[in-house]
Amino acid sequence: MTIIIWTIQLALVPILSPLFLGVLRKIKARFQNRVGANIFQPYRNLWKLFHKDEVMSEDASWIFRIAPYLIFTITIILGASIPLFSTWLSNNLLSDFLAVVYLVALSTFFLALAGIDVGSAFGGFGSSREMTLAALTEGGFIFSFLALSFLAHSTNLFFIASAVSVLPLFSFTPIVLVFISFVIIMLCETAHFPFDNPATHLELTMVHEAMILEYSGKRLALIEWAAANKFLIFLALGANMFFPWGLTAQTDAWSVVSALGIFVVKVLILTTFVAILESSIAKFRFFRLYDLLFTAFILSAMAILLIL
Amino acid sequence: MMFTLSQIIFLLETLIFLAAVFMHLVHKNSSLISLYRVQSFIVCIFIFGSAIVTSSALLMFVGILIFGVKVIVAPYFFTKLIKAYHVKSTSSTYLNGPTTLLVVAVLTGLAHSHYFQPLTTLVGENPDGLLLSLAAILISIFLLINRKGILSQMVGILSLENAIVSFAFLSELEATPNMQIGIIFDLLVWIIIVYIFAGMIHEKFGTLDSTVMNNLKEE
Repeated sequence: MTIIIWTIQLALVPILSPLFLGVLRKIKARFQNRVGANIFQPYRNLWKLFHKDEVMSEDASWIFRIAPYLIFTITIILGASIPLFSTWLSNNLLSDFLAVVYLVALSTFFLALAGIDVGSAFGGFGSSREMTLAALTEGGFIFSFLALSFLAHSTNLFFIASAVSVLPLFSFTPIVLVFISFVIIMLCETAHFPFDNPATHLELTMVHEAMILEYSGKRLALIEWAAANKFLIFLALGANMFFPWGLTAQTDAWSVVSALGIFVVKVLILTTFVAILESSIAKFRFFRLYDLLFTAFILSAMAILLIL
Repeated sequence: MMFTLSQIIFLLETLIFLAAVFMHLVHKNSSLISLYRVQSFIVCIFIFGSAIVTSSALLMFVGILIFGVKVIVAPYFFTKLIKAYHVKSTSSTYLNGPTTLLVVAVLTGLAHSHYFQPLTTLVGENPDGLLLSLAAILISIFLLINRKGILSQMVGILSLENAIVSFAFLSELEATPNMQIGIIFDLLVWIIIVYIFAGMIHEKFGTLDSTVMNNLKEE
């Protein structure tokens, strides 16, 4: 049974991630009075891209070739390292919040390198923008988990989830502040409004799309899949670190299935929240994003003050 | 999960505190008024709760009056002001966004520092809630100081009043119902006066920004 549960933990993120992306796009389409594509469309897109030939710049180095595999692998490792449906699958090496934050930073770093590698103007400014945002996001990201780790007296995400689930309501003021901070960080890291518009290729606005403009075929499929994985990882972190109810500590089939059901419902609620947020706000000017990220950092710092 | 009454009160106090913090973050006057409405509604819940616990009909009447004045009348006047003078945005502040947030964080830390810890002896069950309401008082005073727009300053004063009421409620230092009726009447008169006064200021200076009022006398 343990092997089956570990397999589920490992495969859950890559299997479900395109679905939640499809749900997000569907809800956004409904908000715009459009029917929108089927929620399984991201799976079809990946299938199509995996069966297409690649076109690669002759200036591309090994970094450009290897980056999609590396980024995709990192998201798989991340997906297996965070609490999804169970509290007992912890491992001391990768479930530490600092390891998670820096694995996310590592994937961003390689994506930015791949963006500038082929020397195109779009890739260059996309990478420049991405690294500017990443530098500001990292502090808020670390501080948001630091606040939780002060509450739980542990830096292990599984222990934090277990500890937060039994906290009294008196302890929830800092958690509310940290959650708001985390949502801002999540929108930035996953390239959503008001930081980035994932549906546009406008020179003035794109960040993530600019970096991957030179990719095609299988490598583009891997990058797109990795982006979907990252989105689900952040949704799962939001759902299970701040609302950790429904995680199971048992290994029997019924507990695991019900915990999986609760996980899907929680992530669906968060996806709907992101879709509503994306449909109701405009993309900010680049120089206003600093303020927003600093807000996230200060909210986390305030939460730590309240805890200490 | 079972919630006790003091936990629910603490959660509501948290919302008052968060509303005070978010008043510094929002850029639209309509959002500012919505946050004030939320704050006032929570204060009404406190009063209604107190009326039910003490079985006081007079206190229930006070709660209804507070609801009428703070949740309906005050936001109505402010919305009218926004529409009449086209003051949708209120983003101008003396300190920039990050510095404002730093000050808010410092004020929150100050409210939880050892300087104010003796105040927690006023209350047995909910000391953290009391310190949060104190933080909300300080943050509301800072809103009053930091914003340049007159409308924001008005909301700042009313938010300060809400924070003081919640502080009094949590420390069990509430005024008598008769006194509260007097206070809410004062508040109603104050709202009407500032509404008229804001109109006169706009007529004279053509704006509701307090920084342009350097010369109050005609030259």
